[in-house]
Amino acid sequence: MRIEYINPFVEASFDILNEVLQTTVKRGQLYLKKLGESMKGVAVVVGVIGNLKGRIVFDLSEETAIKIASKLNGEEFKTFDEMARSTISEIANMITGRSVTKLEKDKLNFSFTPPTLITGENLNIYEYADMEALIIPIDTGLGIIEINMAFKE
Amino acid sequence: MAIVYDDNGLPTGRKLDGGNVKVLIIDDSQFIIKHLSQIFMSRDFEIIGTADNGKAGVELFKQVHGQTDIVTLDITMPEMDGLEALKQIKLIDQNVAVIMVTAIGTAEAVKEAIKLGAKGYIVKPLDREKVIERIGQILK
Repeated sequence: MRIEYINPFVEASFDILNEVLQTTVKRGQLYLKKLGESMKGVAVVVGVIGNLKGRIVFDLSEETAIKIASKLNGEEFKTFDEMARSTISEIANMITGRSVTKLEKDKLNFSFTPPTLITGENLNIYEYADMEALIIPIDTGLGIIEINMAFKE
Repeated sequence: MAIVYDDNGLPTGRKLDGGNVKVLIIDDSQFIIKHLSQIFMSRDFEIIGTADNGKAGVELFKQVHGQTDIVTLDITMPEMDGLEALKQIKLIDQNVAVIMVTAIGTAEAVKEAIKLGAKGYIVKPLDREKVIERIGQILK
């Protein structure tokens, strides 16, 4: 995975999370993970289409998702209800939208599908495991979001 | 449609000839519908209706187009996307002010929407002050 493919997405993630959460967003150490390992409980899946094939998953716990939704809506959510789900999906939508804007500027020829949110304990996405995922952990100040990226040319 | 601006040059939701400016919001995100409604209502705009996809939005617009002053439209939506909805809304009422509210700020998407008759666009995330300022610029 070449860095110029990853950067627009990482920059967009930082920009959007900083803008909407107004917390101190920090990036953790990158690491590689085998495909098929369990997710944290809430996964927003975005397909990568065009010259690159693959997917990006925003992987976070339900507790973190509820905290983020509560902050953005200015009200405390007790459960991960429909409005909380819509809030988390929309953050992913804003990040991919901003990425598309950056990609167009950098003249990179790939884009993203609209996000799909899935939840569950020991959540596992079945994938054809001929590659590893690059994980970019982001500490939002309200919990960790891992950006889990796997794509190839 | 001429609207009243306050002393700071920001738009209010009142028309010069009386009455409130009526807005139809079309977006597949409940979160965006809620926040956009709050922003408009904080300036006395009236929300005449909301729809969560382009097709439902066009159907609703057919019912309320005589009373609707502004339509906000997302671009990426299920059933019918915002650009197709924009075409159909303009066929029903050429004069309604359509504002695209989208996460994609690419030149291509914006150019296409303006070509199809959109009056302007707002890029998400929605910051209350910036959105009000931008609506004022678009409607002037």
